[in-house]
Amino acid sequence: MADVEYDRVWKRFGPQQAAAVHGLSLKVPDRELLVLLGPSGCGKTTALRMLAGLEEPDDGDIRIGGKSVVGLEPKDRDVALVFQSYALYPHLSARDNIGYPLKVRNLSKAEQAKRVERVAEMLGIGHLLPRRPAQLSGGEQQRVALARAIVREPRVFLMDEPLSNLDAKLRVHTRTELKALQRELGTTMIFVTHDQAEAMSLANRIAVLNAGELQQIGTPDDVYDRPANVFVAEFIGSPPMNLMPATTTGDTAVTDGGWRLPVPSGTTTSHPETIVGLRPEGIDIVANDQPGATLAEVITVEPFGSEVIVDVRLGDASVKIRTAPDVRPAPGSQVALSVKPSAVRLFDRATGAAL
Amino acid sequence: MTASARRRAIGRNRLYLAGLSPAVFLLALFFVGPAIWALASSFTNRALVGIDAANPRFVGLDNYARLFSDPEFGRVILNSVVFVIGSAIIGQFVLGLLLALLLDYAQRRGFVASGLVYGSALLAWVNPTIIAGFLWVAMFDFYNGSLNTGLGLLGGGPVNWLGQGPMLAIIIANTWRGTAFTMLIFLGALRTIPTDIYEAARVDGAGPFRRFWDHTLPLLRPIASLTLLSVTIATFGTFILIQTLTNGGPALQTEVIALYAYHEAFQNHAVGYGSTIAVVMLTLNLAFAIVFLRWSRARA
Amino acid sequence: MTAITAPEALAARADEGPPMRAKAKAGPIERIAVHLVFLVISAFFLVPFLWLLSAAFDAKANAYVGIPAHPTLDNFVKIFTEYDFGRVLVNSLFVAIATMILVVFTVALAGYSLSRIELRRKDWITYAVLLLQTMPISATMVPIYGLARQLGLRNSYLGLILIHAAIELPFLIWLMKGFFDSIPRHLEEAAWLDGRSRFRALMEIVLPLARPGLGIAAGLAFLSAWAEVLMVVILIDQDSLKTVPLAFYQAMRTQGGYTEVQYGVIAAMAIIYLLPVMLVFFTARRLMVSGLMNSTRGL
Repeated sequence: MADVEYDRVWKRFGPQQAAAVHGLSLKVPDRELLVLLGPSGCGKTTALRMLAGLEEPDDGDIRIGGKSVVGLEPKDRDVALVFQSYALYPHLSARDNIGYPLKVRNLSKAEQAKRVERVAEMLGIGHLLPRRPAQLSGGEQQRVALARAIVREPRVFLMDEPLSNLDAKLRVHTRTELKALQRELGTTMIFVTHDQAEAMSLANRIAVLNAGELQQIGTPDDVYDRPANVFVAEFIGSPPMNLMPATTTGDTAVTDGGWRLPVPSGTTTSHPETIVGLRPEGIDIVANDQPGATLAEVITVEPFGSEVIVDVRLGDASVKIRTAPDVRPAPGSQVALSVKPSAVRLFDRATGAAL
Repeated sequence: MTASARRRAIGRNRLYLAGLSPAVFLLALFFVGPAIWALASSFTNRALVGIDAANPRFVGLDNYARLFSDPEFGRVILNSVVFVIGSAIIGQFVLGLLLALLLDYAQRRGFVASGLVYGSALLAWVNPTIIAGFLWVAMFDFYNGSLNTGLGLLGGGPVNWLGQGPMLAIIIANTWRGTAFTMLIFLGALRTIPTDIYEAARVDGAGPFRRFWDHTLPLLRPIASLTLLSVTIATFGTFILIQTLTNGGPALQTEVIALYAYHEAFQNHAVGYGSTIAVVMLTLNLAFAIVFLRWSRARA
Repeated sequence: MTAITAPEALAARADEGPPMRAKAKAGPIERIAVHLVFLVISAFFLVPFLWLLSAAFDAKANAYVGIPAHPTLDNFVKIFTEYDFGRVLVNSLFVAIATMILVVFTVALAGYSLSRIELRRKDWITYAVLLLQTMPISATMVPIYGLARQLGLRNSYLGLILIHAAIELPFLIWLMKGFFDSIPRHLEEAAWLDGRSRFRALMEIVLPLARPGLGIAAGLAFLSAWAEVLMVVILIDQDSLKTVPLAFYQAMRTQGGYTEVQYGVIAAMAIIYLLPVMLVFFTARRLMVSGLMNSTRGL
């Protein structure tokens, strides 16, 4: 059990290349499940590998339990990593794979067997123990890899996209289990993924990375409701937040498409060039005669059962609206849109930062 | 801290460098070392025995001057070229290609006996060179070798293979020994040509000859150039086979460059001069090898 | 690198046999013609071996192929009683096995290191190795002799073993690098995180997975050391150190001129010499065919 801290960590792979990790500072308290979220190539896996000791930072410090681990061999860090590829030893049975870290620690045969059995039981893979990795399905391999990490009782669990090779249904099921498991074990976990839905459902807190830089860190609700910048706003949420260039004066923002929106109270803008952000569920389709409503043309209607996504055109901008399943405007028709002031987010057009 | 991180990164590579070191040591000792030794000796009058063996004298470019005005060396280069063209290009390469085409055709047509041809070519290829030499000494035996016995049955007179046609003899022996290499490569290349190409060509109305000319040959061409060079490089270095059969004779008729270096150094005791020949041989070989690597790179 | 692997990869495919497709049956003329061609080609390749068999078992062996006129095992008895071939065989086995062990150790370490090392100009090392591979040993024979004499490596098995190993290294390092490249780094990283040192992770996780490659390396190193004659001839002249290729070489030279060769005795030696080659080669033919596609072998 331990907390983890990144302290101004830099990593660059070649002199010509941009930094893979760009002055990352991050504190993960004990027992937290932190998700590192970002598009591929954003540096999240590199950050994880530096914590594991598979890469060394060029600058900065990494601490586990308050003590620097920089320069320590991976074997001396007492962290477990589940790889995206699972990295099961192909020539060993599932039992020997799970037992390998215990064998390394010179535990007695009886103790090894007991702990392997217990973990296998916990994950429901007791019957798979005699098999080789090649004889296991993807989901089963994933469980064996997980068991190999758990059996050691490490200080920190590291997960490098461990669910991305599973089919969609199994992925959703496994992430629910994983969350319960982490809570039960109470071990700090750092989980890397590019899937924002996975991040939202798993995390105590999410750290969003882009191009090696930390964009925002906060609870899932924080990053969803109050994205720190345009990148986070676009990356999180499906469909993502609608973003439209706007001119802001006083308490009104006017999009380039001519939509007048109320600016939430407390927002200060020093200059009028802004970007307005609206979550699809922050927009309502209302009766055409409602005061303040704006008319837009319906382009497509996508029913998803529990909700309907309506795509409308407003000037040049395409706007997605999440509505109740019974709202089905005809494509080509005009609908009236209304927005609550509290749903409007404003960003600086020059920097992309939230205002 | 930063320094220790950097030390770690270097330290990891240092482990790998340590892992490479036994190999580097052996390669340096027996590949790079001899090349340098040859170059150094080529500027001396180093001998095998006597005073010039212990204390070779620096003679500058004398050995090179002698080599390039040596009429024997001209003969040796010519022999090497004839041997390479005869046994590598015409023999191994062309015969290997034809064999591969024959075997591919025969296998596709379901002729089981093709396995015998394949296996026998392979057998000739894997046996140690010195055995190949011995087998062909017997084959070429003037009085009752299998070749002359066979010719006799067909009504032909005995041929003094190693006396009258020694170059042809060593070309035949080397072709026998090395054809499987080319055959294997082309047979593999033919396997990689998808059958649907031929099927498409048939649908387009192409006959067997057109299909071969328009599809098979162009698809074999890239691998052909590489194979030709490999075979050339290997044949250029042939030594034991020729030494066993003719030892360069009679009268230098089959003296190729590797044998010439050997004879100068070990029979005429002129190690310095022999080293000069070795340097020339290594240089020619390097030229072939660089062309080879460039071609393979271009294909990458 | 793929381009340079191509010939070897192709050769491995050559051994797999063609895709079989149902087609019209061959007519009788085609049948006869094809088999005639087969007969001529197989005869070209096989007659020397048929002769070898007939000569080895013939008391009055001649140079032409035929059923032994005087069938006997005398030639085999003779090589062990008169030529001390037993001792020569043991010498050869010792040299070949020691070479094999040294080669496997060296190429396992070097291939792994070359696969995992991080250098900016790493491909240059690979090209340098390939360049060495094309260097014929017959070109460096004179300097190797001189160098070995100065280093006191003549008439010593150490010298012979080291040089036999060195000859095979460029190709096998490159071959093993390919094998290690195909083993995911994640596996050894997982072992490090599970608490293993780098060396033990290599021994327990990586090497077991590279076993086919190590097998090829061992087989080729053995065959090469067993068959290599040039270095034996220039480095060894003590009778007690003689190995098979040297005994063979001497028997061929001392049995008079080429017209009065004692064919039966030498043929018997040749058959025994060939046995391990056939054994290694034909037990792992497919592996060896792909491994043997080394253009500078067998000079």
